[in-house]
Amino acid sequence: MSALTFILKDAVKRIIDCKKLTPDTLQGKSLSDILAINLEKNLTVADVFDVQGDDATTLIFNNTTAQLQYIGYRMKTGNITINGDAGDFIGAQMQGGVLICKGNAGERAGDTMRRGILLIEGDAGDYCASNMRAGTLGVLGKTGAHIGYGMKRGTLLLSQTPAEQATWLDCGLHTLPFLNLLYQSFQTLDSKFTQLSNRRVRRWMGDVSGMGKAEMLVLQA
Amino acid sequence: MNINGVQIDDTFAEAFNMRGTRVLITAQNLKWAYHAANAMTGFATSVIGCGVEAGIERELSAVETPDGRPGVSILMFAMGSKVLMQQLETRMGQCILTCPTAAAFAGIESEDQISLGKNLRYFGDGNQIAKLLPNAKGENQRYWRIPVMDGEFLTQESTGMVRAIGGGNFLVLGQSQPQVLAACEAAIDAMKKLHNVIMPFPGGVVRSGSKVGSKYPKMFASTNDAFCPTLKGIVKSELSDDIESVMEIVIDGLTFEDIAQSMKVGIEAACALGPENGIKRISAGNYGGKLGPHLFKLHPIMHGNLSTEAEQA
Repeated sequence: MSALTFILKDAVKRIIDCKKLTPDTLQGKSLSDILAINLEKNLTVADVFDVQGDDATTLIFNNTTAQLQYIGYRMKTGNITINGDAGDFIGAQMQGGVLICKGNAGERAGDTMRRGILLIEGDAGDYCASNMRAGTLGVLGKTGAHIGYGMKRGTLLLSQTPAEQATWLDCGLHTLPFLNLLYQSFQTLDSKFTQLSNRRVRRWMGDVSGMGKAEMLVLQA
Repeated sequence: MNINGVQIDDTFAEAFNMRGTRVLITAQNLKWAYHAANAMTGFATSVIGCGVEAGIERELSAVETPDGRPGVSILMFAMGSKVLMQQLETRMGQCILTCPTAAAFAGIESEDQISLGKNLRYFGDGNQIAKLLPNAKGENQRYWRIPVMDGEFLTQESTGMVRAIGGGNFLVLGQSQPQVLAACEAAIDAMKKLHNVIMPFPGGVVRSGSKVGSKYPKMFASTNDAFCPTLKGIVKSELSDDIESVMEIVIDGLTFEDIAQSMKVGIEAACALGPENGIKRISAGNYGGKLGPHLFKLHPIMHGNLSTEAEQA
Protein backbone atom coordinates (compact mmCIF):
# COMPACT_ATOMS: atom_id res chain seq x y z
CA MET A 1 0.00 0.00 0.00
CA SER A 2 1.32 3.44 -0.90
CA ALA A 3 -0.17 6.82 -0.15
CA LEU A 4 -2.91 7.96 -2.48
CA THR A 5 -1.19 10.75 -4.39
CA PHE A 6 -2.84 13.55 -6.38
CA ILE A 7 -0.50 15.31 -8.80
CA LEU A 8 -1.93 18.57 -10.10
CA LYS A 9 -1.81 18.78 -13.88
CA ASP A 10 0.09 21.80 -15.20
CA ALA A 11 -2.63 22.60 -17.68
CA VAL A 12 -5.18 23.27 -14.95
CA LYS A 13 -5.37 27.02 -14.31
CA ARG A 14 -8.67 27.53 -12.50
CA ILE A 15 -9.64 27.36 -8.83
CA ILE A 16 -10.35 23.79 -7.74
CA ASP A 17 -12.55 22.85 -4.80
CA CYS A 18 -10.98 19.81 -3.11
CA LYS A 19 -13.69 19.26 -0.48
CA LYS A 20 -14.38 15.76 -1.75
CA LEU A 21 -10.78 14.58 -1.42
CA THR A 22 -10.27 13.51 2.18
CA PRO A 23 -9.28 10.15 3.71
CA ASP A 24 -12.82 9.75 5.03
CA THR A 25 -14.54 10.25 1.71
CA LEU A 26 -12.09 8.23 -0.38
CA GLN A 27 -11.72 5.09 1.71
CA GLY A 28 -13.21 2.04 0.04
CA LYS A 29 -13.31 3.70 -3.37
CA SER A 30 -11.54 2.19 -6.37
CA LEU A 31 -9.14 4.24 -8.48
CA SER A 32 -11.74 4.52 -11.25
CA ASP A 33 -14.32 5.73 -8.72
CA ILE A 34 -11.89 8.35 -7.46
CA LEU A 35 -10.98 9.52 -10.97
CA ALA A 36 -14.67 9.97 -11.72
CA ILE A 37 -15.40 12.23 -8.73
CA ASN A 38 -16.74 15.56 -9.89
CA LEU A 39 -14.78 18.43 -8.33
CA GLU A 40 -16.14 21.35 -10.30
CA LYS A 41 -18.73 21.73 -13.00
CA ASN A 42 -17.59 19.50 -15.89
CA LEU A 43 -14.31 18.80 -14.13
CA THR A 44 -13.50 15.43 -12.57
CA VAL A 45 -10.50 14.30 -10.58
CA ALA A 46 -9.12 12.76 -13.75
CA ASP A 47 -9.24 16.17 -15.46
CA VAL A 48 -7.35 17.88 -12.64
CA PHE A 49 -4.96 15.32 -11.19
CA ASP A 50 -2.83 12.37 -12.09
CA VAL A 51 -3.57 9.88 -9.33
CA GLN A 52 -1.24 7.22 -7.96
CA GLY A 53 -1.22 4.90 -4.96
CA ASP A 54 -3.96 3.08 -3.13
CA ASP A 55 -3.84 3.91 0.60
CA ALA A 56 -6.64 6.38 1.18
CA THR A 57 -5.77 6.85 4.85
CA THR A 58 -2.77 8.91 3.72
CA LEU A 59 -3.23 11.47 0.96
CA ILE A 60 -0.48 13.45 -0.76
CA PHE A 61 -1.00 16.45 -3.01
CA ASN A 62 1.96 17.18 -5.29
CA ASN A 63 2.79 20.03 -7.66
CA THR A 64 0.24 22.12 -5.83
CA THR A 65 -0.56 25.82 -6.11
CA ALA A 66 -2.93 28.24 -4.40
CA GLN A 67 -5.59 27.13 -6.89
CA LEU A 68 -6.43 24.18 -4.63
CA GLN A 69 -8.97 25.23 -2.05
CA TYR A 70 -10.67 23.46 0.82
CA ILE A 71 -8.08 20.69 1.11
CA GLY A 72 -8.87 18.65 4.23
CA TYR A 73 -12.37 20.09 4.50
CA ARG A 74 -14.21 18.31 7.33
CA MET A 75 -11.57 15.56 7.45
CA LYS A 76 -12.00 13.31 10.47
CA THR A 77 -9.10 10.86 10.30
CA GLY A 78 -5.92 10.05 8.45
CA ASN A 79 -3.16 12.26 7.12
CA ILE A 80 -2.93 14.71 4.25
CA THR A 81 0.36 16.23 3.10
CA ILE A 82 0.42 19.11 0.62
CA ASN A 83 3.82 19.31 -1.06
CA GLY A 84 3.58 22.93 -2.13
CA ASP A 85 1.24 25.85 -1.68
CA ALA A 86 -2.44 25.57 -0.92
CA GLY A 87 -5.33 27.90 -1.47
CA ASP A 88 -7.95 29.25 0.88
CA PHE A 89 -9.84 27.33 3.53
CA ILE A 90 -7.42 24.42 4.00
CA GLY A 91 -8.49 22.38 7.01
CA ALA A 92 -11.80 24.24 7.17
CA GLN A 93 -14.20 22.51 9.56
CA MET A 94 -11.56 19.86 10.16
CA GLN A 95 -12.67 17.30 12.75
CA GLY A 96 -9.58 15.14 13.21
CA GLY A 97 -6.44 13.72 11.63
CA VAL A 98 -3.32 15.58 10.55
CA LEU A 99 -3.04 18.04 7.66
CA ILE A 100 0.42 19.31 6.68
CA CYS A 101 1.03 22.09 4.17
CA LYS A 102 4.70 22.31 3.23
CA GLY A 103 4.28 25.56 1.36
CA ASN A 104 2.17 28.64 1.96
CA ALA A 105 -1.54 28.52 2.74
CA GLY A 106 -4.20 30.94 1.58
CA GLU A 107 -6.79 32.75 3.63
CA ARG A 108 -8.91 31.29 6.43
CA ALA A 109 -6.75 28.22 7.05
CA GLY A 110 -8.43 26.11 9.73
CA ASP A 111 -11.66 28.06 9.53
CA THR A 112 -14.19 26.65 12.04
CA MET A 113 -11.81 23.75 12.73
CA ARG A 114 -13.02 21.51 15.56
CA ARG A 115 -10.28 18.95 16.19
CA GLY A 116 -7.08 17.57 14.72
CA ILE A 117 -3.72 19.06 13.82
CA LEU A 118 -3.10 21.48 10.94
CA LEU A 119 0.55 22.36 10.32
CA ILE A 120 1.60 25.04 7.84
CA GLU A 121 5.33 25.16 7.22
CA GLY A 122 5.18 28.33 5.13
CA ASP A 123 3.10 31.47 5.54
CA ALA A 124 -0.61 31.62 6.27
CA GLY A 125 -2.93 34.20 4.72
CA ASP A 126 -5.43 36.51 6.37
CA TYR A 127 -8.00 35.30 8.86
CA CYS A 128 -5.95 32.25 9.78
CA ALA A 129 -7.88 30.12 12.35
CA SER A 130 -11.01 32.23 11.92
CA ASN A 131 -13.88 30.91 14.04
CA MET A 132 -11.73 27.97 15.10
CA ARG A 133 -13.54 25.85 17.74
CA ALA A 134 -10.71 23.59 18.93
CA GLY A 135 -7.68 21.64 17.76
CA THR A 136 -4.12 22.69 17.02
CA LEU A 137 -2.94 24.90 14.18
CA GLY A 138 0.77 25.62 13.73
CA VAL A 139 2.39 28.12 11.37
CA LEU A 140 6.16 28.34 10.94
CA GLY A 141 6.08 31.29 8.53
CA LYS A 142 4.37 34.65 8.65
CA THR A 143 0.68 35.11 9.32
CA GLY A 144 -1.64 37.64 7.72
CA ALA A 145 -4.15 40.09 9.10
CA HIS A 146 -6.92 39.23 11.56
CA ILE A 147 -5.37 35.99 12.81
CA GLY A 148 -7.67 34.07 15.16
CA TYR A 149 -10.67 36.20 14.21
CA GLY A 150 -13.63 34.89 16.22
CA MET A 151 -11.55 31.96 17.48
CA LYS A 152 -13.30 30.25 20.40
CA ARG A 153 -11.00 27.51 21.68
CA GLY A 154 -7.94 25.65 20.47
CA THR A 155 -4.25 26.36 20.11
CA LEU A 156 -2.41 28.44 17.56
CA LEU A 157 1.33 27.70 17.63
CA LEU A 158 3.31 30.40 15.86
CA SER A 159 7.02 30.79 15.28
CA GLN A 160 6.69 34.43 14.29
CA THR A 161 4.93 37.18 16.22
CA PRO A 162 1.66 38.13 14.52
CA ALA A 163 0.25 41.62 14.21
CA GLU A 164 -1.25 42.73 17.52
CA GLN A 165 -5.00 42.80 17.76
CA ALA A 166 -7.28 44.49 20.28
CA THR A 167 -9.28 41.32 20.91
CA TRP A 168 -6.30 39.14 21.83
CA LEU A 169 -4.83 39.68 25.31
CA ASP A 170 -1.22 39.16 26.32
CA CYS A 171 -0.91 36.55 29.09
CA GLY A 172 2.88 36.80 29.32
CA LEU A 173 5.91 34.57 28.86
CA HIS A 174 5.79 30.94 29.99
CA THR A 175 7.66 27.65 29.78
CA LEU A 176 5.03 24.99 29.16
CA PRO A 177 5.80 21.27 29.73
CA PHE A 178 2.68 20.56 27.70
CA LEU A 179 4.61 21.51 24.56
CA ASN A 180 6.75 18.38 25.00
CA LEU A 181 3.60 16.32 24.48
CA LEU A 182 2.65 18.36 21.46
CA TYR A 183 6.12 18.07 19.94
CA GLN A 184 6.15 14.36 20.61
CA SER A 185 2.90 14.01 18.70
CA PHE A 186 4.69 15.56 15.70
CA GLN A 187 7.54 13.05 15.75
CA THR A 188 5.92 10.49 13.46
CA LEU A 189 5.23 13.16 10.83
CA ASP A 190 7.26 14.16 7.81
CA SER A 191 7.40 17.84 8.66
CA LYS A 192 9.68 20.67 9.77
CA PHE A 193 7.52 20.78 12.91
CA THR A 194 9.45 17.75 14.18
CA GLN A 195 12.43 20.08 14.72
CA LEU A 196 10.62 22.15 17.34
CA SER A 197 11.85 21.78 20.90
CA ASN A 198 11.44 25.25 22.41
CA ARG A 199 8.96 25.33 25.30
CA ARG A 200 9.33 29.05 25.94
CA VAL A 201 6.32 30.92 24.57
CA ARG A 202 4.38 34.14 24.87
CA ARG A 203 0.75 33.26 25.44
CA TRP A 204 -2.11 35.31 24.11
CA MET A 205 -5.77 34.57 24.79
CA GLY A 206 -8.68 35.55 22.61
CA ASP A 207 -10.77 36.29 20.69
CA VAL A 208 -12.34 38.20 23.58
CA SER A 209 -14.93 39.71 21.30
CA GLY A 210 -16.47 36.26 21.69
CA MET A 211 -15.75 33.34 23.98
CA GLY A 212 -12.06 34.19 24.44
CA LYS A 213 -10.90 30.71 25.45
CA ALA A 214 -8.48 30.21 22.56
CA GLU A 215 -4.72 30.57 22.90
CA MET A 216 -1.96 31.77 20.65
CA LEU A 217 1.48 30.48 21.66
CA VAL A 218 4.28 32.46 20.05
CA LEU A 219 7.60 30.61 20.26
CA GLN A 220 10.40 32.69 21.73
CA ALA A 221 13.94 32.73 20.39
CA MET B 1 13.24 -27.40 52.07
CA ASN B 2 16.33 -25.47 53.02
CA ILE B 3 18.08 -22.52 51.35
CA ASN B 4 21.51 -21.52 52.67
CA GLY B 5 20.66 -23.15 55.98
CA VAL B 6 17.33 -21.34 56.26
CA GLN B 7 14.24 -23.54 56.56
CA ILE B 8 11.47 -22.87 54.03
CA ASP B 9 8.12 -23.95 55.44
CA ASP B 10 5.88 -26.13 53.30
CA THR B 11 3.09 -23.60 53.29
CA PHE B 12 1.52 -20.96 51.10
CA ALA B 13 0.68 -17.28 51.00
CA GLU B 14 -2.96 -16.65 50.37
CA ALA B 15 -3.87 -13.81 48.05
CA PHE B 16 -7.02 -12.31 46.66
CA ASN B 17 -8.30 -10.53 43.56
CA MET B 18 -7.93 -6.78 43.33
CA ARG B 19 -8.30 -4.03 40.78
CA GLY B 20 -5.13 -2.17 39.94
CA THR B 21 -3.88 0.80 38.01
CA ARG B 22 -0.60 2.47 37.20
CA VAL B 23 0.01 6.22 37.06
CA LEU B 24 3.15 7.92 35.77
CA ILE B 25 4.06 11.03 37.71
CA THR B 26 6.55 13.48 36.29
CA ALA B 27 7.93 16.74 37.59
CA GLN B 28 10.69 19.27 37.04
CA ASN B 29 13.11 16.83 38.65
CA LEU B 30 13.05 13.52 40.52
CA LYS B 31 12.96 15.28 43.86
CA TRP B 32 9.55 16.78 43.12
CA ALA B 33 8.30 13.67 41.37
CA TYR B 34 9.03 11.78 44.59
CA HIS B 35 7.32 14.46 46.68
CA ALA B 36 4.18 13.99 44.58
CA ALA B 37 4.40 10.20 44.47
CA ASN B 38 5.12 9.88 48.19
CA ALA B 39 2.07 11.98 48.98
CA MET B 40 -0.07 10.05 46.49
CA THR B 41 0.95 6.68 47.93
CA GLY B 42 0.95 7.82 51.54
CA PHE B 43 -1.48 6.20 53.99
CA ALA B 44 -2.04 3.40 51.50
CA THR B 45 -0.62 0.38 53.31
CA SER B 46 -3.71 -1.80 53.57
CA VAL B 47 -7.21 -1.79 52.18
CA ILE B 48 -8.38 -2.58 55.69
CA GLY B 49 -7.99 1.02 56.76
CA CYS B 50 -6.78 3.03 53.78
CA GLY B 51 -9.11 2.08 50.96
CA VAL B 52 -6.22 1.33 48.64
CA GLU B 53 -2.77 -0.17 48.72
CA ALA B 54 -0.28 1.86 46.76
CA GLY B 55 3.42 2.28 46.30
CA ILE B 56 6.16 3.52 44.03
CA GLU B 57 7.02 0.91 41.43
CA ARG B 58 10.16 2.46 39.93
CA GLU B 59 11.92 5.57 38.71
CA LEU B 60 11.43 6.70 35.13
CA SER B 61 14.04 8.48 33.05
CA ALA B 62 13.05 11.45 30.93
CA VAL B 63 12.89 9.31 27.78
CA GLU B 64 10.36 6.97 29.37
CA THR B 65 7.75 9.61 30.19
CA PRO B 66 5.17 11.24 27.93
CA ASP B 67 6.30 14.79 28.66
CA GLY B 68 10.03 14.13 28.56
CA ARG B 69 10.63 14.90 32.23
CA PRO B 70 11.91 12.55 34.93
CA GLY B 71 9.33 10.76 37.02
CA VAL B 72 8.19 7.70 38.89
CA SER B 73 5.49 5.13 38.25
CA ILE B 74 3.11 4.20 41.01
CA LEU B 75 0.80 1.22 41.32
CA MET B 76 -2.47 1.40 43.20
CA PHE B 77 -4.72 -1.50 44.16
CA ALA B 78 -8.18 -1.74 45.68
CA MET B 79 -10.73 -4.45 46.37
CA GLY B 80 -13.12 -3.08 43.75
CA SER B 81 -13.28 -0.70 40.83
CA LYS B 82 -15.51 1.82 42.60
CA VAL B 83 -13.11 2.29 45.52
CA LEU B 84 -10.13 2.46 43.19
CA MET B 85 -11.77 5.18 41.10
CA GLN B 86 -12.76 7.14 44.19
CA GLN B 87 -9.34 6.90 45.81
CA LEU B 88 -7.45 7.70 42.63
CA GLU B 89 -9.50 10.81 42.04
CA THR B 90 -9.15 12.01 45.63
CA ARG B 91 -5.42 11.39 45.74
CA MET B 92 -4.90 13.02 42.34
CA GLY B 93 -6.70 16.09 43.58
CA GLN B 94 -4.96 16.38 46.91
CA CYS B 95 -1.48 15.11 46.07
CA ILE B 96 -0.69 15.67 42.37
CA LEU B 97 -2.74 18.75 41.54
CA THR B 98 -1.25 20.42 44.60
CA CYS B 99 2.39 19.45 44.06
CA PRO B 100 4.56 22.03 42.26
CA THR B 101 5.50 21.08 38.68
CA ALA B 102 3.91 17.61 38.92
CA ALA B 103 2.01 16.04 36.02
CA ALA B 104 0.20 12.70 35.77
CA PHE B 105 -0.20 10.28 32.88
CA ALA B 106 -1.76 6.90 32.22
CA GLY B 107 0.64 4.07 32.92
CA ILE B 108 -1.30 1.02 31.83
CA GLU B 109 -3.43 0.08 28.85
CA SER B 110 -6.85 -1.45 29.31
CA GLU B 111 -10.33 -1.28 27.87
CA ASP B 112 -11.48 -0.36 31.39
CA GLN B 113 -10.63 3.29 31.89
CA ILE B 114 -10.82 5.25 35.14
CA SER B 115 -10.67 8.95 35.63
CA LEU B 116 -7.27 10.51 36.19
CA GLY B 117 -7.79 14.19 35.46
CA LYS B 118 -11.23 13.98 33.90
CA ASN B 119 -13.02 15.60 36.80
CA LEU B 120 -10.08 17.57 38.16
CA ARG B 121 -10.36 19.75 35.10
CA TYR B 122 -13.21 21.66 36.73
CA PHE B 123 -10.63 23.15 39.09
CA GLY B 124 -9.74 25.30 36.08
CA ASP B 125 -13.05 27.12 36.53
CA GLY B 126 -13.69 27.23 32.81
CA ASN B 127 -10.10 28.06 31.83
CA GLN B 128 -9.05 24.42 31.45
CA ILE B 129 -7.95 23.30 28.00
CA ALA B 130 -8.37 19.82 26.51
CA LYS B 131 -5.86 18.54 23.99
CA LEU B 132 -6.38 15.41 21.95
CA LEU B 133 -2.95 14.36 20.75
CA PRO B 134 -1.58 11.18 19.18
CA ASN B 135 0.95 9.29 21.30
CA ALA B 136 4.03 7.51 19.98
CA LYS B 137 1.79 4.69 18.69
CA GLY B 138 -0.45 7.15 16.85
CA GLU B 139 -3.36 6.61 19.25
CA ASN B 140 -5.20 9.75 20.27
CA GLN B 141 -4.98 10.56 23.97
CA ARG B 142 -6.89 13.30 25.75
CA TYR B 143 -4.99 15.57 28.10
CA TRP B 144 -6.11 18.44 30.29
CA ARG B 145 -4.17 21.61 30.93
CA ILE B 146 -5.44 23.27 34.08
CA PRO B 147 -4.16 26.73 34.98
CA VAL B 148 -2.62 26.77 38.46
CA MET B 149 -0.44 29.25 40.31
CA ASP B 150 2.88 27.66 39.30
CA GLY B 151 1.92 27.52 35.62
CA GLU B 152 -0.13 24.64 34.28
CA PHE B 153 -1.17 21.33 35.78
CA LEU B 154 -0.96 18.77 32.98
CA THR B 155 -2.80 15.47 33.27
CA GLN B 156 -4.11 12.75 31.04
CA GLU B 157 -7.87 12.33 31.18
CA SER B 158 -7.91 8.67 32.22
CA THR B 159 -5.78 5.64 32.87
CA GLY B 160 -6.37 1.91 32.52
CA MET B 161 -7.72 -0.37 35.22
CA VAL B 162 -6.78 -4.04 35.24
CA ARG B 163 -7.45 -7.17 37.25
CA ALA B 164 -4.65 -7.72 39.75
CA ILE B 165 -3.71 -9.71 42.83
CA GLY B 166 -3.09 -8.50 46.35
CA GLY B 167 -1.79 -10.15 49.47
CA GLY B 168 1.18 -12.14 48.26
CA ASN B 169 3.51 -12.42 51.24
CA PHE B 170 6.21 -14.19 53.14
CA LEU B 171 7.40 -14.13 56.73
CA VAL B 172 10.99 -13.83 57.84
CA LEU B 173 11.67 -15.52 61.17
CA GLY B 174 14.89 -14.87 63.02
CA GLN B 175 16.91 -14.66 66.13
CA SER B 176 16.57 -10.95 66.84
CA GLN B 177 14.61 -7.92 65.71
CA PRO B 178 17.62 -6.11 64.10
CA GLN B 179 18.64 -9.27 62.23
CA VAL B 180 15.16 -9.90 60.86
CA LEU B 181 14.83 -6.26 59.83
CA ALA B 182 18.20 -6.42 58.05
CA ALA B 183 17.04 -9.49 56.12
CA CYS B 184 13.79 -7.78 55.20
CA GLU B 185 15.68 -4.72 54.00
CA ALA B 186 17.85 -6.94 51.81
CA ALA B 187 14.73 -8.63 50.44
CA ILE B 188 13.04 -5.30 49.69
CA ASP B 189 16.15 -3.96 47.95
CA ALA B 190 16.11 -6.98 45.65
CA MET B 191 12.34 -6.91 45.09
CA LYS B 192 12.30 -3.21 44.22
CA LYS B 193 14.31 -4.01 41.10
CA LEU B 194 11.29 -5.85 39.67
CA HIS B 195 8.43 -4.20 37.82
CA ASN B 196 4.67 -4.71 38.23
CA VAL B 197 4.79 -5.16 42.01
CA ILE B 198 4.71 -2.97 45.10
CA MET B 199 5.29 -3.67 48.76
CA PRO B 200 2.84 -1.21 50.29
CA PHE B 201 3.83 -1.23 53.97
CA PRO B 202 6.35 1.18 55.55
CA GLY B 203 9.71 0.47 53.97
CA GLY B 204 8.01 -2.55 52.39
CA VAL B 205 7.87 -4.40 55.71
CA VAL B 206 4.99 -5.07 58.11
CA ARG B 207 5.47 -6.14 61.72
CA SER B 208 1.80 -6.59 62.56
CA GLY B 209 0.65 -9.55 60.55
CA SER B 210 -2.95 -10.41 61.33
CA LYS B 211 -5.29 -13.33 61.65
CA VAL B 212 -8.96 -13.25 60.73
CA GLY B 213 -11.28 -12.38 63.62
CA SER B 214 -10.81 -11.36 67.23
CA LYS B 215 -12.19 -11.90 70.70
CA TYR B 216 -13.69 -8.44 70.31
CA PRO B 217 -16.78 -8.67 68.10
CA LYS B 218 -16.15 -5.37 66.32
CA MET B 219 -12.65 -6.40 65.20
CA PHE B 220 -12.47 -8.48 62.02
CA ALA B 221 -8.70 -8.85 62.20
CA SER B 222 -6.31 -9.08 65.10
CA THR B 223 -2.69 -9.85 65.84
CA ASN B 224 -1.33 -13.06 64.37
CA ASP B 225 -0.65 -14.52 67.82
CA ALA B 226 0.76 -17.78 66.47
CA PHE B 227 3.71 -15.75 65.13
CA CYS B 228 4.06 -13.33 68.07
CA PRO B 229 7.30 -14.29 69.85
CA THR B 230 6.30 -12.81 73.20
CA LEU B 231 3.24 -15.12 73.35
CA LYS B 232 4.98 -18.35 72.42
CA GLY B 233 4.40 -19.95 75.81
CA ILE B 234 0.74 -19.13 76.12
CA VAL B 235 -0.83 -19.55 72.66
CA LYS B 236 -0.62 -22.28 70.05
CA SER B 237 2.59 -20.85 68.71
CA GLU B 238 4.28 -21.50 65.38
CA LEU B 239 7.60 -20.37 66.80
CA SER B 240 10.48 -22.29 68.23
CA ASP B 241 12.52 -21.09 71.19
CA ASP B 242 15.20 -19.50 69.01
CA ILE B 243 12.80 -17.16 67.18
CA GLU B 244 12.55 -13.73 68.78
CA SER B 245 11.18 -11.71 65.89
CA VAL B 246 8.99 -12.16 62.81
CA MET B 247 8.35 -9.68 60.03
CA GLU B 248 6.23 -9.93 56.92
CA ILE B 249 6.63 -8.61 53.41
CA VAL B 250 3.34 -8.13 51.57
CA ILE B 251 3.26 -7.90 47.79
CA ASP B 252 0.57 -6.61 45.44
CA GLY B 253 1.12 -7.21 41.75
CA LEU B 254 -0.42 -7.15 38.34
CA THR B 255 -0.20 -10.92 37.75
CA PHE B 256 0.41 -14.15 39.64
CA GLU B 257 3.80 -14.51 37.96
CA ASP B 258 4.86 -11.00 38.99
CA ILE B 259 4.13 -11.73 42.65
CA ALA B 260 5.67 -15.20 42.55
CA GLN B 261 8.85 -13.84 40.99
CA SER B 262 8.99 -11.09 43.57
CA MET B 263 8.56 -13.58 46.43
CA LYS B 264 11.30 -15.79 45.02
CA VAL B 265 13.76 -12.91 44.70
CA GLY B 266 12.90 -11.56 48.15
CA ILE B 267 13.18 -14.92 49.89
CA GLU B 268 16.51 -15.62 48.20
CA ALA B 269 17.88 -12.27 49.36
CA ALA B 270 16.71 -12.84 52.94
CA CYS B 271 18.10 -16.37 52.98
CA ALA B 272 21.44 -15.15 51.65
CA LEU B 273 22.12 -13.72 55.12
CA GLY B 274 21.73 -17.22 56.54
CA PRO B 275 21.63 -18.57 60.12
CA GLU B 276 24.95 -16.92 60.90
CA ASN B 277 23.10 -13.61 60.66
CA GLY B 278 20.17 -14.90 62.68
CA ILE B 279 17.80 -15.83 59.84
CA LYS B 280 16.22 -19.18 60.71
CA ARG B 281 13.00 -19.74 58.79
CA ILE B 282 10.79 -18.43 56.00
CA SER B 283 7.06 -18.96 56.24
CA ALA B 284 3.95 -17.35 54.79
CA GLY B 285 0.66 -15.94 55.98
CA ASN B 286 -2.47 -17.80 55.05
CA TYR B 287 -5.96 -18.16 56.35
CA GLY B 288 -6.45 -21.83 55.67
CA GLY B 289 -7.50 -21.13 52.12
CA LYS B 290 -10.58 -19.21 53.24
CA LEU B 291 -9.59 -15.71 52.18
CA GLY B 292 -8.59 -15.74 48.54
CA PRO B 293 -8.30 -17.96 45.49
CA HIS B 294 -4.58 -17.46 44.86
CA LEU B 295 -2.22 -19.71 46.76
CA PHE B 296 1.46 -18.90 46.47
CA LYS B 297 3.12 -22.12 47.57
CA LEU B 298 6.63 -21.47 48.80
CA HIS B 299 8.25 -24.74 47.71
CA PRO B 300 7.17 -24.67 44.03
CA ILE B 301 8.04 -20.97 43.81
CA MET B 302 11.52 -21.50 45.26
CA HIS B 303 11.99 -24.33 42.78
CA GLY B 304 11.33 -21.80 40.04
CA ASN B 305 7.74 -22.69 39.20
CA LEU B 306 6.30 -19.20 38.97
CA SER B 307 3.32 -19.92 36.78
CA THR B 308 -0.23 -20.08 38.00
CA GLU B 309 0.16 -23.84 37.78
CA ALA B 310 2.04 -23.55 41.03
CA GLU B 311 -1.28 -22.71 42.61
CA GLN B 312 -2.62 -26.06 41.55
CA ALA B 313 0.51 -28.10 42.21
